[in-house]
Amino acid sequence: MRGTVYLRRYWQLYALLVLPLAYFIIFKYGPMWGVQIAFKDFNFFQGIGGSEWIGLEAFREVFQTQDFYRTLRNTLMLNSLDLIVSFPAPLILAIMLHELRLAWFKRLSQTILYIPHFISWVIIGGIVYQVFGTQSGMINNVLMSLGFDSVPFLTEKNSWLITYLATGVWQSAGWGTILYLAALTGINKELYEAAEVDGAGRFKRIWFITLPGLKTTIVTLLIISLGNMIAIGFERPFVIGNKAVLEYADVLSTYVYRTGLESGQYTMATVVGLFQAIVGLVFILGANYASKKLTDESII
Amino acid sequence: MAASKKKWGKLGKLTLAMLMVGTVVLSGCSSSESGGESGSGDEKQVTLKVEIFDRGTPPSPYTVTDNYLTRYIQDNFGTPNNINMEFVPIPRSEEIKKLNVLMASGGDVPDIVFTYDTPTFNRYAEQGGLTELTDLINEHGPDLKKFLDGDALSYGQYKGEQFAVPSKRAFLGKYSSFIRTDWLEKLGMDVPQTTDELYEVLKAFKEKDPGETGGKVIPFGMTIEPAQYDPLIWSFIEPTTEEQKYTLTQKLGSNDYPTLLPGFKEALQFMNKLYNEGLISRDFSLDEDKKQLYQDVQNGLTGFLTEDYPNLYYDEGTYDNLLKNKPEAKLEPIDPFTNSEGKRAKPQYAPNGMYIMIPKSSERSVEAIKYLNWLSKPEVLLAMQNGVEGENYKMVDGIPMAIEDAPQEIKDRLHNAGADTSIIANGNFVGTEEQNREKMTSNFPERFQDLHRKAMEISMTDTFLPINFDRPIEAEGKYGTNLQSKYEEMIVKTAMAKPADFDKTFESAMKDYMVSGGQAILDERTEAYNEMKSK
Amino acid sequence: MSERASNRIFDTVNVILITAFVFICLAPFIHIIAISFSSTRAVTSGEVTLFPVEFSLQAYKSVLSDNSMIRSLGFTIILTLLTTVMCMLMTIVAAYPLTKKKLKGRKFFMFIIIVTMFFSGGIIPEYILVKDLNLLNTIWALVLPGLISPFYLIILISFFNGIPESLEEAAEIDGTSQIGTMLRIILPLSLPVIATLSLFYAVGRWNGFQDTLLYITREDLYPLQLKLYQLVQNNMISDLTSNEGPTAVVKSATESLKAASVIFATVPILIVYPWLQRYFVSGVMLGAVKG
Repeated sequence: MRGTVYLRRYWQLYALLVLPLAYFIIFKYGPMWGVQIAFKDFNFFQGIGGSEWIGLEAFREVFQTQDFYRTLRNTLMLNSLDLIVSFPAPLILAIMLHELRLAWFKRLSQTILYIPHFISWVIIGGIVYQVFGTQSGMINNVLMSLGFDSVPFLTEKNSWLITYLATGVWQSAGWGTILYLAALTGINKELYEAAEVDGAGRFKRIWFITLPGLKTTIVTLLIISLGNMIAIGFERPFVIGNKAVLEYADVLSTYVYRTGLESGQYTMATVVGLFQAIVGLVFILGANYASKKLTDESII
Repeated sequence: MAASKKKWGKLGKLTLAMLMVGTVVLSGCSSSESGGESGSGDEKQVTLKVEIFDRGTPPSPYTVTDNYLTRYIQDNFGTPNNINMEFVPIPRSEEIKKLNVLMASGGDVPDIVFTYDTPTFNRYAEQGGLTELTDLINEHGPDLKKFLDGDALSYGQYKGEQFAVPSKRAFLGKYSSFIRTDWLEKLGMDVPQTTDELYEVLKAFKEKDPGETGGKVIPFGMTIEPAQYDPLIWSFIEPTTEEQKYTLTQKLGSNDYPTLLPGFKEALQFMNKLYNEGLISRDFSLDEDKKQLYQDVQNGLTGFLTEDYPNLYYDEGTYDNLLKNKPEAKLEPIDPFTNSEGKRAKPQYAPNGMYIMIPKSSERSVEAIKYLNWLSKPEVLLAMQNGVEGENYKMVDGIPMAIEDAPQEIKDRLHNAGADTSIIANGNFVGTEEQNREKMTSNFPERFQDLHRKAMEISMTDTFLPINFDRPIEAEGKYGTNLQSKYEEMIVKTAMAKPADFDKTFESAMKDYMVSGGQAILDERTEAYNEMKSK
Repeated sequence: MSERASNRIFDTVNVILITAFVFICLAPFIHIIAISFSSTRAVTSGEVTLFPVEFSLQAYKSVLSDNSMIRSLGFTIILTLLTTVMCMLMTIVAAYPLTKKKLKGRKFFMFIIIVTMFFSGGIIPEYILVKDLNLLNTIWALVLPGLISPFYLIILISFFNGIPESLEEAAEIDGTSQIGTMLRIILPLSLPVIATLSLFYAVGRWNGFQDTLLYITREDLYPLQLKLYQLVQNNMISDLTSNEGPTAVVKSATESLKAASVIFATVPILIVYPWLQRYFVSGVMLGAVKG
């Protein structure tokens, strides 16, 4: 009886998994029946179960709207830019912090760098306006006093992308370092000492010791980021965006909020959500597969 | 190894301690939960659950659900009728979302809910979730009927059925314009009486900078809020036939939009001109909460603006702060925008405020109507809006005037007085319309009261009402919020375009608007109009 | 250029860059503090940048004399502690077995967990579930639905995977049970990541309020962020409030009161990280391997 031997040996592991799996089944799969809204003409008072089936009609309607494609394009565009700019930022910052020699300065700057994460987007919105505004923003005041033309950081769509990215880096880079710093504690200090004895420069040490030590973390985060390519938070594009740059700032989440949730059209919101989920799942599984082939790291 | 073990031990202990704290607190919570229900032992005391807006600002020691007015309601309506009043706080800014979830999940919905949002009311009514109220009002609501005299009650109808009790507005004026008359004096110019004269004044403000702002002058303060562009745009709308009015207006959310009416393009072209000549705020598309607008007015940079009529004249408000910054400033109400007939046309509010609804699932619809009826009794309204005579107010010429030097805790009684508690009334009802206006004016500091009276008068000059169909336009409920956004996008883009590109920009924005639901609304309204006419 | 000189240049540039970024991160926070100490007139006239104008303690006096704020702070602390501990325990318990390559069904379990990162039932069924479990208006409604974040779970698994297998094998040969190995070998070696994820859970709970908007209508169970949200957000959504008409609008909080509330609600969670930094000591692993 190989099965019983196996179970006798590993029952503890299964026992550990009972509660977590129960959690996922009750709290995550439990409400999953709500997904059927996507195929129904949702009526508030007949409830999800009682509403009338409409098949794929809602999908057809969503896929026919111009705004859906505009917001889909923007979501992918902003996320790709974030992947290029905002994804490496905490990694670079963490390495820079790791290289600091003054312990107190390191601790202090770490603590300050993560403050922006705690400032809510409503407040950030007001500050962004004061900093980047065309008429009275701080940066433009400086530019104009130096004799340059003012830059419409918030009202011209291409300049707006810079503002969007800069705000993202500012808000999340410091916070993102925490995980890398935790990973860096796992690197054997003796490796650095040995490298120094061998006469390896700073960049060499970073390249050959620090980065390999962070490889697993980087790959894990990268796979998850790729899975989230089509998902996008609501607040950042909503708060940083404005009517002048809606052509770039309008993304799936703001679109769903506006046309779905605000006007009680849960069917439409669920259709878009389902679409995002399927694409996201395909992306993450694809990224996982590719990563396994290329780097031998994977999350499954 | 030993060191790390010790560390883990410490963390483990901490964990355990935290867990225990958590459990103790929890058991505390759940036991207090179960205790409340039974109440006083009398036969059949019933509970009436009423929604209340939670704005997060009750003064200590009051809370949103337990304060002077909620106690007043319990003591004077609840207890005598053997009803236990329960107030269910709904966060103001998440009102619709929360209401939707409550409605969709059945049960647990308050017996009285309300919203200002017309599409939400239409949706609930259409989907059959509301109690029909005609018989209930006839039987239990004599005072309510008297209060909502005239056609006010009809605003709560949906396809001829009474699915809501509309609250009644005391005053229907919306907008006024304001200008720095001290600048006009300095330049020796008269108060502008027409749009053309206003344009000349704005140009003079820009060129001559009478406020000595060092080139920072903003002749016309603009935002992306309706109050700043509505009066301008509506003044460009040409006189229309009744049919045009019904079919070409677009009702998005709760307001009428002139997107398809003749003259709309010219309005946007005028804004484009103002923008390109540097006469309106350059970053107006960013100002979604009027913060920058107020800041510029206060700092004496803005020469002219349109705004909700009373907003500038509050105590320690924008005008007060302007006077602190620029003591010589004078900011007075004027009414310069004229249409092609020479009228100062502008929108006003519909006579109804919010929609008060009783969900079909409620078993307390009789008590709910009794409650609304009680609220509309004149003596109750007086007490709920003004507090206690002699302590909060004294009667002057039949108007309850607030006692200004009453102690703070007496004043705090009324922190949530108004439409949040007297839900059937929006604004002060103290007697005749004239008296109502005087009462509202008395809420402003004495030094600004004359200005306020004038702004009030302007806000009601040549106004027109929202258009009302006898049946709701379904496409408006479906596309409304998205089209509001498209509408604002159109205003911003066309204003900021180079004059040469204006036509192109306008056309592409309009095309986008039409395919995003504008056309569907137009078609449905045309159909509804023809139907209405053939009856 | 000598090794030492290039090292010095590297260090100098590094310190300068970090200092600049530190300033950019700190400035907005100082700005909020400055507002909280300034007069309304100065704030709404845009005069306040990094220093208070017309200094006043009024805003803090109002915040601190507001009993409901203090009560909210207490509740939020308890809620955050409870959430963090429970979430962390569950995440650890889930992560450890899933690191075992030989565990049958591991891939399947991983798959059903990852699916929940993307698919959800939506707010209505989630609300109905919480209601049916009788959790509405209890602290558990804010704890249970978010017990395990699949994202943090994956991170923890990847850290556990980084621990040399030889250590575990040695323990197993000694006859230690799997749970024993987890408690005695894996966890002590993972303190940095456990501290990190605890911080993530704690901060997530501290800052989150969307669920409280739905599940809580009892004011004594209002977390601080919900009160803050109402102060800051209310009356700013003028789409909603414009139809109230001017006569219905309740006077909203002043800018300095909002700022003081922000500071009041942010500082307690900000000091958690400096305190947790003690677990970020390098070489924990090294000591273990040697020991």
